[in-house]
Amino acid sequence: MAVRNFTVSKFVIGLLLAFISLTMLVPILNLFAKAFSDPSKVHLLHGYDIWPKGFSIVHFQVVLGNPIVGRSLFNSLFITIVGTALSLFFTTITAYVLTRKHLIGKTPIMVVLIVIMIFEPGIVQEYMVVKDLHLLDNLWSMVLYRTINVYYLIIMMRFIEEIPDALLEAAKMDGAGHLTIFARIVLPLSRIPLLTIGMFYAVVRWNEFFKSSIFLSSRDNTVLQVLLRQFVVEGDSATLVGAANLLVNNPIAQLDFGALKAATIVVAMVPILMLYPVILKYYTNGVMDGGIKE
Amino acid sequence: MQTNSRLRKIWADKTLYVMLLPAAAFFSVFHIWPILEMRLAFYEYRILGDHVYVGFKYFKELFGTPIFSQVLANTLIISAMKMFLIFPLPILFALMLNELVNGKFRKAVQIISYLPHFLSWVVIAGIWFEFLSKSNGIVNDVLRLFGFPAHDFLTDKTAIRWVLVASEAWRNIGWDSIIFLAAILGINKSLYEAAYVDGANRWHMITRIILPHLYVPMVTVLILNVGFIMNAGLDQVLNFTNASVNSKIDIIDTYVYRVGLINGQYSFATTANLFKSAIGVALVLSTHFISKKLTSKGAW
Repeated sequence: MAVRNFTVSKFVIGLLLAFISLTMLVPILNLFAKAFSDPSKVHLLHGYDIWPKGFSIVHFQVVLGNPIVGRSLFNSLFITIVGTALSLFFTTITAYVLTRKHLIGKTPIMVVLIVIMIFEPGIVQEYMVVKDLHLLDNLWSMVLYRTINVYYLIIMMRFIEEIPDALLEAAKMDGAGHLTIFARIVLPLSRIPLLTIGMFYAVVRWNEFFKSSIFLSSRDNTVLQVLLRQFVVEGDSATLVGAANLLVNNPIAQLDFGALKAATIVVAMVPILMLYPVILKYYTNGVMDGGIKE
Repeated sequence: MQTNSRLRKIWADKTLYVMLLPAAAFFSVFHIWPILEMRLAFYEYRILGDHVYVGFKYFKELFGTPIFSQVLANTLIISAMKMFLIFPLPILFALMLNELVNGKFRKAVQIISYLPHFLSWVVIAGIWFEFLSKSNGIVNDVLRLFGFPAHDFLTDKTAIRWVLVASEAWRNIGWDSIIFLAAILGINKSLYEAAYVDGANRWHMITRIILPHLYVPMVTVLILNVGFIMNAGLDQVLNFTNASVNSKIDIIDTYVYRVGLINGQYSFATTANLFKSAIGVALVLSTHFISKKLTSKGAW
């Protein structure tokens, strides 16, 4: 189209967008550069450097070799994986039931769901509930907490409504019950929304830190985000390096705390970066390819 | 007769109701139960025995507490700053993306700018602390380059709210632009061609064709944001706060957490929390219906 010619204004727009993108890309790459730099050269690194000075994985060896970090990493993975699986299963099965026509009681159920969606329970009460369930300092508190997100449930319902009735009716004629229809027809047809919603559940669970910090009090049950906050925000270098290492003035104590922090942040980012291509592929499909199909 | 056939229908669908049980259990335990327990706001907490009914005693106390007024003001100021200052940015961002001719460059900008939305506030705080570091952060490097003195923004009372606004914008400008970009890409191409034939330039197309198509998402986003004005960003504040600046960014959520779970004043904290939740519900409900009326799109 002639109106889309290259002009000065387009050049300025390109520069501006490049600048905004760089404010996001450079600090993230800088963390990688710092974490992978040679310990003796870390201090030479500037905030705008995106390439490591020298190369070493010693910061990762120290961080991942720290039993507290390893434990928290395991806990976070457990909560994210088991929690996301439960969330997906129960969100989908609930969405299936709530999309059945002629379901008696559907309207009051939907009203309750809307109330749940907009009324935030108190922090003190949530703590008390977990305490009364004897789930304090138990990883299952975070697995079970908010298993079903009402927004995602509604998205799932909209999707299941699109499945042609004829398909489900045919199965019913063949004598299939609701459980069979759900397992054999609805689940396989819902692959894409399951992936999309699964990504969002996983990201939320992986990134969660406030409730984990309240519900999980002991060191053994800490999750990575809570530990990371201790390093990054509170500057707790002793835990990161390991108290034993600090005492016997060994090489680990000489490492740059900033580089160790960077390595921990990288560890916390890696699962997100692994999920990110899937999120882009399924969630932002139309917008990424430059056309929305109506 | 009527109830009988109803019951028979429910009985015929019994598998469905059984399938609903796990959801009923999750919602009852983690939502409805704690919401009902918030009646503690009207009771004096007793470790042993029944709580004592005190009516609105804690509400009166709450509104007479100067710190609470400060915390409420902080919440509203930070929310309002974020809402009005950040609101235009994703729209501009989407408009700019749409002007890009090079598809690969556009895709790269999208991939990079959507990413921060998926990082936790702990990670973002880590990135921003480096960003704003007085000794070797990029921002202070640039300040020094132009001959300004280096400045520690994170411990500066007058700067910290702007840090919250800036980091929020940084996190969401790309992701929030998706809804606007989708609206732009959904515009029928023949509209542009017709305008071109009529002698319209690019600027006319933006103001006369694109912007009117963004009216619905703009109104929806703006109105629905008002519904969440009581949430100033708990995770963000918890990670950006420090002793020097806490008085400026202490919000209702951090206050409830501190008074309730750290100081153990359960009833008082619950009162503050109930006040927040109740206003939140009223705002979300009213903004939902206003938005529905104006744009036929609501919060759900």
